[in-house]
Amino acid sequence: MHKIFHNQQVFLTLTLAILSLGSLLLRDAYSINLAIWMALAALCAASLRFVTLIGELNFAIAAFYGIGAYGAGAALTVYNIPFLPALLLGGVIAALVSLVFGYVTLKTKGPYFLLIGFAFTEVMRILYARSDWLGGNSGMVGIFPPSGFGNYFPLFAIGLCSVMILALYLIERSSFGKILIAIRDNDNVVLSVGINVHLSKVVCFGIASFVAGIGGSLHGFTNNVISPGDFGFLLSTFTLAYLKVGGENSPFGPLLGSIVLLALGSVAMGMGAGEHIFYGAAIVIAVLLFPNGLVGIFSWGYKKLFSHAESKGGKVGQMHEPRPAAKPLHKKEQVNG
Amino acid sequence: MDKRNIETSPGAGAAGHEVLARVTNLTRRFGGLVAVSDLNMEIRRQEILGLIGPNGAGKSTTFNLISGFFKPSSGRLYFDGKDMTGKSALEISRAGLVRTFQHGSLMRSMSVYENILIGAIGALPRGTKKERAARVEETAEMLGLGPYLNEIAGTLPHGIQRLISIAIASAPRPKLLCLDEPLTGLNQTEVMTTLGVFEKIRQVFGCTILLVEHNMKAVMQICDRIVVLHHGQLLATGTPDEIRHDDTVVSAYLGKRHGD
Repeated sequence: MHKIFHNQQVFLTLTLAILSLGSLLLRDAYSINLAIWMALAALCAASLRFVTLIGELNFAIAAFYGIGAYGAGAALTVYNIPFLPALLLGGVIAALVSLVFGYVTLKTKGPYFLLIGFAFTEVMRILYARSDWLGGNSGMVGIFPPSGFGNYFPLFAIGLCSVMILALYLIERSSFGKILIAIRDNDNVVLSVGINVHLSKVVCFGIASFVAGIGGSLHGFTNNVISPGDFGFLLSTFTLAYLKVGGENSPFGPLLGSIVLLALGSVAMGMGAGEHIFYGAAIVIAVLLFPNGLVGIFSWGYKKLFSHAESKGGKVGQMHEPRPAAKPLHKKEQVNG
Repeated sequence: MDKRNIETSPGAGAAGHEVLARVTNLTRRFGGLVAVSDLNMEIRRQEILGLIGPNGAGKSTTFNLISGFFKPSSGRLYFDGKDMTGKSALEISRAGLVRTFQHGSLMRSMSVYENILIGAIGALPRGTKKERAARVEETAEMLGLGPYLNEIAGTLPHGIQRLISIAIASAPRPKLLCLDEPLTGLNQTEVMTTLGVFEKIRQVFGCTILLVEHNMKAVMQICDRIVVLHHGQLLATGTPDEIRHDDTVVSAYLGKRHGD
């Protein structure tokens, strides 16, 4: 059991390393840009997934992504702060805002939390549009990474995304991550043994938002231009699509979902507005037919091939017949309560 | 009304007489409904105290008040020498009062090991991985959960799931372990196993146990003292024998007698 988890960690590290270095092989500007967008999408999806550990759907992710982008952009273009501190500042500002936001709003759950996040995203978008010092409706221009990067900025961006995706997974595997998953399963029990549930949720949200904020900073440096419309609720919706299509029970889900959907999306681009229909359809199909996403299909295929392979726990494991207990006290009976 | 308090109960078995927790004049109203009214009771160190009463008697509300999940409308709660009135559930649990829940008190998607680990993390917030693992294994061993440590909790039989709930709650080695209907839905064999576990927890971990339970036979068998609630009020307190022969208790459960 433990070995498989261990392997999954190594496997994820290797995958991320290969994908990052693989971006060096890309030659044409279009593919290189697409690779960065894939990495950023995967980072957002991983951030979204991190908050699903406490059982919440964080629709405010677009807001914190935007705060990161505007934070770094303003730091660089308005206050002339150098690249690395500006990049970091995007994440830090997003994290600080999210700690306050989370402290207040994480007292709610489920649909209420989702709706507050949705509303916050829209408020932030309108706020950028109304702020002239941030470029107003037409946005902020001239967010360039230092020229010293040469051709290596894509590697830097993709590598940084990979490191953060891996970091999120390592946190998920730690004791703190176990607390988060336990909160999703049964927050009252976690509270009753003396663990501060609310604080844990706020910290989880803060970590996810820091990562989203750094992602937003990288978005700015990649696109060189940001505008309020980039950070509306559609971004949250797309991120949800990446996560759902990839599979939210595995750290590979965000990766797989983003790469596949963006690759297909770049083909669907020719459809014009049809692109959005395409993403909507992807969510519907994934939720209806593949509740565990592409990762679910792969692990199902893997099990068919190697029937001895153990399930990897979580909900994926629950799909299958439970392994017989060693000494059951009485006949198996699933009572909810 | 005829509120009675039979405090002459020397035959309390292993239990001492030092008071661990006490509630005085505890009252909780929900709108116009008085769920718990002017309740006075004490829990003594190392005893197993049963809290019984017909449906709607206010057992669960009392339980939620003691564990801090509800705030009292009036009255006070003392625990381990400190006034805990109005303290949050987190503060009360950190003071050493851990409770379970009637409807599922475990993390279904996690392994048994991880379930108990949550209790161990609560107990040892600054503990090392090793210390926590030792705590998990010790607890699992005590409750006979050793063979199930790697199983996913939600896939195990009901009886085992109940033991897991108790394991999570006892991993912090609470001073007071409050169990909300831990025997509901268990068969006779499982009830006996679980009662044995209560006794072990008390003796080995030194916990005091407050038990809310409908299974009269089990309550009579294991409890040192019993508190009976009726319509949110204290009806009687005493040893199982005293309760069994108490007229007010009998009439509350079986209906009023002629001329009462």
